[in-house]
Amino acid sequence: MKKQKSEHELFIYKNRNRKIKIIVVQVLILICFLGLWELAAQLEWIDSFITSSPSRVIKMLGELKEQGLWKHIGTTLYECVIGFAVSTALGSLIAVALWWSDFLRKVLEPYIVVLNSLPKIALGPIIIIWVGADAKAIIMMTVLICIIVTIISTLGGLMATDEGKILLMRSMGATKRQILTKLVLPGSVPTFLSVLKINVGLAWVGTIMGEYLVSGAGLGYLIIYGGQVFKLDLVMTSTVILCFLAAVMYFAVALVERFFKKRSF
Amino acid sequence: MEILKMNNVSLTYQTVEQETKAIENITLSIEDGEFIALVGPSGCGKTTILSLISGLMKPSGGTITLMGKPVERPGSETGYMLQRDMLFEWRTIEKNILLGPEIHRNLSDEVKGKAEDLLKKYGLWEFRDRYPGQLSGGMRQRAALIRTLALDPKLLLLDEPFSALDFQTRLSVCNDVYEIIKSEKKTALLVTHDISEAVSLADRIVVLSARPAVVKKTFVIDIDAPTPLKRREKSEFGKWFDTIWKEVSV
Ligand SMILES: Nc1ncnc2c1ncn2[C@@H]1O[C@H](COP(=O)(O)OP(=O)(O)OP(=O)(O)O)[C@@H](O)[C@H]1O
Ligand SMILES: [Mg+2]
Repeated sequence: MKKQKSEHELFIYKNRNRKIKIIVVQVLILICFLGLWELAAQLEWIDSFITSSPSRVIKMLGELKEQGLWKHIGTTLYECVIGFAVSTALGSLIAVALWWSDFLRKVLEPYIVVLNSLPKIALGPIIIIWVGADAKAIIMMTVLICIIVTIISTLGGLMATDEGKILLMRSMGATKRQILTKLVLPGSVPTFLSVLKINVGLAWVGTIMGEYLVSGAGLGYLIIYGGQVFKLDLVMTSTVILCFLAAVMYFAVALVERFFKKRSF
Repeated sequence: MEILKMNNVSLTYQTVEQETKAIENITLSIEDGEFIALVGPSGCGKTTILSLISGLMKPSGGTITLMGKPVERPGSETGYMLQRDMLFEWRTIEKNILLGPEIHRNLSDEVKGKAEDLLKKYGLWEFRDRYPGQLSGGMRQRAALIRTLALDPKLLLLDEPFSALDFQTRLSVCNDVYEIIKSEKKTALLVTHDISEAVSLADRIVVLSARPAVVKKTFVIDIDAPTPLKRREKSEFGKWFDTIWKEVSV
């Protein structure tokens, strides 16, 4: 005899069903898109010389593998990850320092505001001259783009700590350091996680922009080069790889988020 | 025994725009085991008085002594409970309650044992591993009180601790808190806007004037009933309410 499902089991069942549906539709959309693209190219509704096509992308992937695809991916990934890590770490540290010292915060406020509104790409030539036309310049560009946003958002989170909670800790005799480590930092974890997500996106912007400016390797380089010699297959293929990498990095951050949400401090 | 002695205490806030004289020549003494309610018009300086006693601020004039020693900085002799429960959402109830001992770097087995006893005694033991978000308003306020008690303070300072609760919860939490404070044999100084709350809880009510606050009058409330809820049922309750109400409003 079949056992009656409990309300909770039913809820879980429905919930899972819905999740599966969402994933199925997501995959279907991708397949339809790729299928249509390929079909339109095969039937010559579109000029695949300009639009490329999934089969051309796959062929190009094979070609690229002979010509150091991994080196290009490695270069871009390296620049992006280092830029992301440095700007996140340094930016958070600076935000904490600014939280700690009212004086420093007031002094630096106008500088940060100006740096924030400055289009960082304008600093490209200066960066190249100062650190050289290589990976260092690209990392520098990535850091510049991410770090100001990191400082501003993280500081905002730190400063938004409930005054009442600070008062409570002070009434218990807590030191400023204890207020930071037991209240302000753990309370700002949600802000920090959203900063991480924003930074993943910005780090890619910085890296690719940097590679447009200076580079002899990397996906940004392939895209620019492909555009110049009118090899749209190359441009498309590099873009697809870029999408894939950005997604992987985003999911890595999502994993970090899951980890933080599970534990208490 | 005299727990607290305030002698001619005054405080003036300094801001760029102006000086604000918040309290002036407050003289007040609290005996061991007493439950005192402080009532007065909005903005008259009640919170200021509690901040001074807890050592968060220094008076501009006068002296404050706790068990014979002058108050210099926040310490574990006083426990401050605020209007909202101020539980940390990312800590479990048990970890919230151990916040004070953690700050004092005193997480001994004895302290932990005492916190566990308090949790068990006051009905939060099953909830020790939950997060504040999973508790009702009344339970949260009880947890906040236990957090204050974990440092074993001599004097509890309660700044409108029930005003964030709805009326029904408020009556029962008020009752709970009273019983906990009495059974732990604590001395308490409660600030409230709510005169009926003051009458139902206090042994003595101190009425303050408008800013700058001075002690206008003190009433010894002698309603004979074991709990705040029972007090509210007594006939003297209404009489006391009217007396205090008149004193506050004139
Ligand atoms: N940090 C401060 N700086 C300047 N003035 C202040 C400060 N804190 C309080 N005041 C002023 O001092 C007076 C007394 O404030 P306090 O908070 O002690 O009043 P209160 O009796 O607790 O008021 P309420 O009933 O609204 O809680 C008020 O007029 C307030 O504006
Ligand atoms: Mg107040």
